[in-house]
Amino acid sequence: MRALVTGAAHGLGRSLIEQLLADGHDVIAVDRDIDPLEELVVSSRGACRAYLVDMANPESISRFFDRTREMTFDLVILNAGISATGKFEDIPSGAYERLIAVNATAPIRLAAQLVGGGQMNPKSRIVFVSSLSHAVGYPGASVYAATKDAIAIYAKSVRKPFKKRGTRVLTVFPGPIRTDHAEKYAPAGAKASKRMDPEKLAAMILKAAKSKSWELWPGTAAQLAKMAASMAPGLTLSAMRKAIFDKLNGPVF
Amino acid sequence: MAKPEPRPHTILVTGATDGIGLWLAKSYAGRGHKVLATGRQAIADDAAFFGASNIAYVRADQSAPDEAATRIAAAMAGLGWQQLDLGILNAGLGWAGDPADEPVAEIERQIAVNFTANVLITKALAPWLFIGKGRLAIIGSTAHTGAKGFATYAATKAAMAGFAKSLRSEWQGRAEVTLVHPGPTRTSMHHKAGLSLGAVRAMFMSTKRAGKSIEKSIRKGDDTRKLSRTFGWRSAMSNPKEFQL
Repeated sequence: MRALVTGAAHGLGRSLIEQLLADGHDVIAVDRDIDPLEELVVSSRGACRAYLVDMANPESISRFFDRTREMTFDLVILNAGISATGKFEDIPSGAYERLIAVNATAPIRLAAQLVGGGQMNPKSRIVFVSSLSHAVGYPGASVYAATKDAIAIYAKSVRKPFKKRGTRVLTVFPGPIRTDHAEKYAPAGAKASKRMDPEKLAAMILKAAKSKSWELWPGTAAQLAKMAASMAPGLTLSAMRKAIFDKLNGPVF
Repeated sequence: MAKPEPRPHTILVTGATDGIGLWLAKSYAGRGHKVLATGRQAIADDAAFFGASNIAYVRADQSAPDEAATRIAAAMAGLGWQQLDLGILNAGLGWAGDPADEPVAEIERQIAVNFTANVLITKALAPWLFIGKGRLAIIGSTAHTGAKGFATYAATKAAMAGFAKSLRSEWQGRAEVTLVHPGPTRTSMHHKAGLSLGAVRAMFMSTKRAGKSIEKSIRKGDDTRKLSRTFGWRSAMSNPKEFQL
């Protein structure tokens, strides 16, 4: 089996490729910084190949397609993502353009081009990484939340059309993960121990990708938060505001 | 109980050369308000085009989001406005068809116009809205819950719905945010999106009805309002081929 994982150098993506390689799969690892992948590429004896792609740059994505035109995939995990936290009006416009390009435009484009261009094998799987914020909202990261809503609804919209072409869709809605990424954007006083272990989450995603499920809300905390949001959306949103927005020190992007 | 009707003096309507936006611009201007209308076409004579002397026009092509936002802020300053009472983010476009066939350029264009530009315009409007505790009104779509024949369009409308939800919470006490989801409306958007609707179009909401409902939601100070007629956007958009009569 050949898998493609974006945002593979760090965090969740890193855990995903390590587990895929351990299971004996071929991995195409994509990131904007592939130096951290070098050791893995060497030790995998060709099973892991790293590609430098900047998801904020459409031409960089086009070059990736030029180089992989003959390649087909059984599993694609569109994991690359960035954030921007702070008061909405304090974050520069350029950071928003980059955020939307990386979190929304790139995965939508990759999915459409991979499926439409015949690069997905029969009975393949494409995984979108949305966020728990799709259920609960995210004051203090309204544009980040919007990109994750876009991904959730794009994934839902393409389920049937992609399935007709042999590719099933899985959408993951993780809460906070214990990664450097989450650390950077977390509000003051947030406890890292309460965030999900990326290795555990990676295992859950790979297991769900083998099943027939459309969606994965990983962990009890995510499921409880989702339930709270569906029963009392207003209360949940104001709790999110208190937990995040009111504690932000300043913009991080 | 309905909140008392706000009496905005300065109103921005994006995408106001056609459809719902044009109706709203003319309607507010007809009641004596000052309107700044935007669109992507060049208009030589604002007064002649809109048939009103209190509608100013600025060309703001949202496929170039940063430039559009900058031009709108400059136009408000150029008109001598001190604050913005109501900003209606109405401009939008779509592409209809099998999502596996959706061209990259169409994906990029819909996200730029319907999502990125609205975020950057909101950022440009924020200081103008905060002065008089104004209202931002975002025109979403009933497609925001998903539509298989309109996948990227639905995604951009979901983005705006989520954006409105979080922003409303952030802006508590500083500015209001209204989100309206119109159902299928008889505008030129479907034709531009590559969809031939034929006779079904007659069942869609008229532009006037959509416009009036949006005005009502703004007047009442609604948070989120869904406007829909006989059948949902979802059914029309999820099976576009069925509607090529």
